[in-house]
Amino acid sequence: MKIWSTEHVFSYPWETVIKAAMRKYPNPMNPNVVGVDVLDRGLDTEGRLHSHRLLSTEWGLPGIVRAILGTNHTQTYVKEHSIVDPEEKKMELCSTNITLTNLISVDERLLYRPHPDNPEVTVLTQEAIITVKGVSLSSYLEGMMARRMSANARKVSIIW
Amino acid sequence: MNSVGEACTDLKREYDQCFNRWFAEKFLKGDRSGDPCTESFRVYQRCVQKAIREKEIPVDGVDFMGPDKGSGKDRSFFSFNAS
Repeated sequence: MKIWSTEHVFSYPWETVIKAAMRKYPNPMNPNVVGVDVLDRGLDTEGRLHSHRLLSTEWGLPGIVRAILGTNHTQTYVKEHSIVDPEEKKMELCSTNITLTNLISVDERLLYRPHPDNPEVTVLTQEAIITVKGVSLSSYLEGMMARRMSANARKVSIIW
Repeated sequence: MNSVGEACTDLKREYDQCFNRWFAEKFLKGDRSGDPCTESFRVYQRCVQKAIREKEIPVDGVDFMGPDKGSGKDRSFFSFNAS
């Protein structure tokens, strides 16, 4: 198991970053996600927007890893729950994989908030727990996933 | 970006366009009325739920606890049903 967290700073106000984050896919810089669907969405009594999304992802694992894992199912599905609070200026997003769960679990949590001292800047805190089950490649795969997720979260800043 | 159901992609784009406009122009600016995209969402959902059933994607196999309730023992945010 690898527990890992990091922080990114975007030089844009919170609203700009949140708009990009809600449209994070499609992102030509992140080909891992090949499909996105909204399953449920609505406002709660406090005026926060909840979205449940289903992401179809292609991890692009190296062939040797696929052979060892014994699966050709490189397409896997991720469920994501996000909450946007426009009063507090806070967006929280949690995701977890719902297929290949016998091999790996990736739980990720992102939090976007304005910088406490500078409203023109947004801070993203990212945490992930990655567990590869029962294969000797665990640490290699966990490290690879952690690097990839870190790179992907940062790509939201790219405006194309 | 595509939908999980190939046939649903156009419906999804129509809904996304409606939602994104409301999100940027109303919601983030403090307008608390709900999004006006209910009808396009309903049509899109009918298509997506069918595709999910056909592809046997276990969307309901996960007990999604949500960001505010994370209190699992060895899993911080979510708990899985045995499947």
